[in-house]
Amino acid sequence: MCETPKDAPSNPSMTRIRVEDAIGTRLAHDITEIRPGEFKGPAFTRGHKVEEADVCHLMRLGKRHLYVLNLGPDQVHEDDAVVELAAALAGPGITFEASPKEGKLQLLAAYTGLLKVNGEALYAFNRIPDVMCASIHNNFPVVKGQNIAGTRAIPLVIERQVLDQAVSLARAKAPVFSVKAYYRKKIRLLITGSEVYDGLIEDRFEAIVREKLAAFGANLEETRILPDDVDRIADTIRYFADKDTDMIITTGGMSVDPDDVTRHGIRKAGADALYYGAAVLPGAMFQIAYKGELPIVGIPACGLHHRITVFDLVLPRLLAGERLDDADLARFAVGGMCLSCPTCRYPACSMGKTG
Amino acid sequence: MESFETLLEGSAKAHGHLCAGQVIGVRMAMRGCELIGLDNPSDISQIKKLIVYVEIDRCATDAIGYVTGAKLGRRSLKFVDNGIMAATFVNLETGTAWRLVSTESSRDKAAEFAPGITDVSEQQLVGYKIMPDDLLFDIMPVRVDVPIHDMPGPSRFKAQCDSCGIIVRDKREVLVGSRILCRACACGAYYRPLDSGSGCRHTP
Repeated sequence: MCETPKDAPSNPSMTRIRVEDAIGTRLAHDITEIRPGEFKGPAFTRGHKVEEADVCHLMRLGKRHLYVLNLGPDQVHEDDAVVELAAALAGPGITFEASPKEGKLQLLAAYTGLLKVNGEALYAFNRIPDVMCASIHNNFPVVKGQNIAGTRAIPLVIERQVLDQAVSLARAKAPVFSVKAYYRKKIRLLITGSEVYDGLIEDRFEAIVREKLAAFGANLEETRILPDDVDRIADTIRYFADKDTDMIITTGGMSVDPDDVTRHGIRKAGADALYYGAAVLPGAMFQIAYKGELPIVGIPACGLHHRITVFDLVLPRLLAGERLDDADLARFAVGGMCLSCPTCRYPACSMGKTG
Repeated sequence: MESFETLLEGSAKAHGHLCAGQVIGVRMAMRGCELIGLDNPSDISQIKKLIVYVEIDRCATDAIGYVTGAKLGRRSLKFVDNGIMAATFVNLETGTAWRLVSTESSRDKAAEFAPGITDVSEQQLVGYKIMPDDLLFDIMPVRVDVPIHDMPGPSRFKAQCDSCGIIVRDKREVLVGSRILCRACACGAYYRPLDSGSGCRHTP
């Protein structure tokens, strides 16, 4: 991309011929057809030999002339260039389609996991003339085969030097795109609240947490319900930590009342770091702590009432092995407010996309 | 393409025995190739146009490989371990693809096409030869986006496992945290090394 000089010459490698005179020649590129609401794709593909019957079709598509290519030694056709671009952009967990369509290649997730986008590298890549790549957001949970980006050389013919520059940059900043597998699988849940412990109200957190974990292939190994008692909470956190546990989740006791003591219990259990408060609505009273490398997540009560909260933003990243801190929780601010849409489309919305 | 009987004879010989699975596999492959417009898939002019996905590792799979010439080592035969007697035939040139599934109901109907035969295996062997396609198979057009790392041809991609150092080809590596791992180190292996002092640790 970038501004095209006003005096940029037309490409000398392309000779223009009238469609009527093109019978017997082969197309230099895919020719797109758009039938609104019905079809968008190549009506003719690169290399197709133009026949008499094609002339009317081409004219209906607005073509009065076609290009005949005479590539110089330092020039690369868009279909060949885009394969080099895609290969340089695709890091671990990213693959791409076997054949370009209309000069473009889609990058795909090779397996299910958390998409990581090197945004600065992608910006620098797009500052190079005549190439582009656009992607979905960083930290997006993706499934195997999902489209995550598209790239192409913008002109039909790109200079070798420019292509090499783009490829070199993508390789130097690699990986521009990658997918982290979810490997934290064994989760233990501590539900706090004397009202639940005493049976005054029924817990609803366990089912919610279990379902959210299952979506990423993680399993709830054990659940315990405790009253608002600092020592008992601390003992259970230590007990969980000593077992084969990849992450501990606590629910309840995250607010400001005197009985909300869960985070005090987590501290007492020997947490090395504890971050309380997140720039997300719903989920301001979220907490994340670490005992060694073991994350201990505290979901506030909003998790019972809202389908999507801060927990949904951090969960895939934690399961993919990332260590989040107060800076990460603050970075969610722009786009950190749920719009409470009548029909929730998360994660296909703005919620949490700057984190 | 050769006749059904010739292909069946050759397939049975290559597989080691004649069975109902050979009949299903030969017929599935012949119909699949016909649907995607390849009349002689083993011929040099067509061999690079075909990819076949098989979904079970049983007798029919060998027959499909025999008829089509698709081979695992040439990357034209893909094994998707679904435990389903099905195969998908892809014409890479045109993008046309058809999936054929062996019907469960054909097992019950085999006797109708093999009157006088009481042995079930023999009934199926004989019956499947003449049963119409629409009874023998569920046939559906599909789209298969074959990614670059699954295409035939030289290996384009290599990565080194950060745990055991092995070279992983064709995008089969896994990013775990910040480490690139082979699948054995990332997810566990199907084997256990007897010598614990060498090989993959098989833990991320």
